[in-house]
Amino acid sequence: MTTKTSSKAPSYTITCRMNHEAAALERLCQVVRVRGFRIERMGVETADDTLDIILTVQGARPVTMLQSQLEKLHTVAEVMLTSPAIVPAVGCTA
Amino acid sequence: MNGAQHILEAFHRHNIQTVFGYPGGCIMPLYDALVDDDRVEHVLCRHEQACALAADGYARASGKPGVCIATSGPGATNLITGVANAHRDSIPMLVITGQVPTELIGTDGFQETDVLGMTLGIVKHSYLVERADQLPAILEEAMELTQSGRPGPVWIDIPKNILLEDAVAAPMSTPAQPRAACPDIQDALILLRKARKPLLYSGGGISLAHAEASFREFVECTGLPSVVTLKGIGNPGKHSAYNLGMLGMHGSRAANRAVDECDLLLVIGARLDDRATGRLDTFAPNARLIHIDADASEINKLRSAEVAVRGDLNTILGKLTQALRETPLAISEWRKQCQTWHTTGGFPVADNEEPLAPITGPAFIRQLSRIAPDDTIIACDVGQHQMWVAQHYQFDHPRHHLTSGGLGTMGFGLPAAIGAQFANRESTVINVTGDGSFMMNAQELATIRRYHLPLKLIIMDNQCLGMVRQQQELFYNNRESQINLDDNPDFVAMARAFDIPALKIERTDQVRRGIETILAYNGPMLLHVAIAREENVWPIVKPGGSNKEMIDEIRRPAADKQEKTA
Repeated sequence: MTTKTSSKAPSYTITCRMNHEAAALERLCQVVRVRGFRIERMGVETADDTLDIILTVQGARPVTMLQSQLEKLHTVAEVMLTSPAIVPAVGCTA
Repeated sequence: MNGAQHILEAFHRHNIQTVFGYPGGCIMPLYDALVDDDRVEHVLCRHEQACALAADGYARASGKPGVCIATSGPGATNLITGVANAHRDSIPMLVITGQVPTELIGTDGFQETDVLGMTLGIVKHSYLVERADQLPAILEEAMELTQSGRPGPVWIDIPKNILLEDAVAAPMSTPAQPRAACPDIQDALILLRKARKPLLYSGGGISLAHAEASFREFVECTGLPSVVTLKGIGNPGKHSAYNLGMLGMHGSRAANRAVDECDLLLVIGARLDDRATGRLDTFAPNARLIHIDADASEINKLRSAEVAVRGDLNTILGKLTQALRETPLAISEWRKQCQTWHTTGGFPVADNEEPLAPITGPAFIRQLSRIAPDDTIIACDVGQHQMWVAQHYQFDHPRHHLTSGGLGTMGFGLPAAIGAQFANRESTVINVTGDGSFMMNAQELATIRRYHLPLKLIIMDNQCLGMVRQQQELFYNNRESQINLDDNPDFVAMARAFDIPALKIERTDQVRRGIETILAYNGPMLLHVAIAREENVWPIVKPGGSNKEMIDEIRRPAADKQEKTA
């Protein structure tokens, strides 16, 4: 699936903590692309077995959808949407 | 104990008795270990794709994880279609591949491919084992992961040196903790009690959660009218009074009508796939939506849910049943309306009493459904025959209907049937296939022969790619393009070349005898069923169109002319 992101599509900043293992970043980046977003900026810090990642992504789809897909990755411990607004993850009961 | 022996030990711990594989260079240490192990039955298929699809069929039929094994490079790449098939349908599967030795990774060594990289998008999770002491813990984690939550394939790529190296288990890094489920059903109950026209929409998630019995009890208790997706067929059972059958592109008019008119859609274990919903902005326009699923990412993905409940379906269904048993829903008028639609808007009755008439797909499947034993497992391929099975075969359990739903993999049926037969040695297993699909994994006739599997094969042969031809006829101005298969081999002779007896039928009066003959035969047998090239699957919704715009049978001018002449 490919999704075009126009320059008018909103941008979001996401922080993500995940295990530092083979293909960790590839896995993360692939989910971002497949779910219709484009990475504008990316920062990575490593500490022991953990990766702390700050992503700025752009896309027209609801960013909560990307957030829930990233949270599904087995090695991802935490995903937080930090801008433009903090949106809670899909809850168990709406 | 070396890495290969650790793998076999993990199989024993997890009661894995049957695996499907194909040997080769980098996986040879595991095959060497298998020589000394009589607790695991290794099934040698004739192509790695078939190994993966057989493991998939085994998992679907048994509810246990399927296991497939291949070597590096082409062995691994050949697995990919089968693993993607399992991924799209959330099938538990453990995939084990050999890799070139650690020091050769990244040097373009013989039969080296970046398996981890190329399979990221088709697995629930994957590993490249970097040290021998990691392997035991990875195997444990992989077995847990493939079955937990929403199941899916887990792939372990293991360099050859690690398979050979002695290993003592090392602790793994702590995995991310899954969020606890909190199945609060109160909001769902409020919506259900307010609704006047509630409809149950269920999918493959019921079986993935092993919740068939809970679901059946829920339906019986509530009397909710229901529709099912392709993967939900078999729930809530063929005797359920309120089941309107499959919805969507080739669904029944009754099912799509009920969705269109309901005021509440209770979606359980389904993901609102485009083949089921049609154009989303016209789907269930009057309905509020409750979505119950194990996977949070499916909720609000395509349509917002007013109430979402995430967690174990058995638990949630149990709580809902208990609550609704105490205070039943007052929906008798709606039930009556749905039953009327079911009577008048089911799939067209297609029985033909004219003995010399050509065989039609729907009539053949109905006859098969009447004759085959109750516990028969049907493994379909992909195309028109797949939809005729979905429409006309009366399934009483979802594990009796093996179909490639998400990926739509031609060639799925035969290896899946092989896997299902290994999972259910005493059951009747039938691969219903088309002439196009059959040829995509026909080499597996050799596997049937090798293991003396009593599989039955039914090829519905219209000498073309029927579903593509149908859509070219209806939506591409009848411009046929690359669908002609009138140079098919002689399927009867082909089966016999593998020492599998076969017969061909082409008239209505041969149907019953043909089906009874293959079912009665003590061993594998192939039935070649000639059907008309022009036959279509009805009804149909144009891809991307609205389910309101179902197209019923279109009579061709030539057919009209024949009728007038007659």
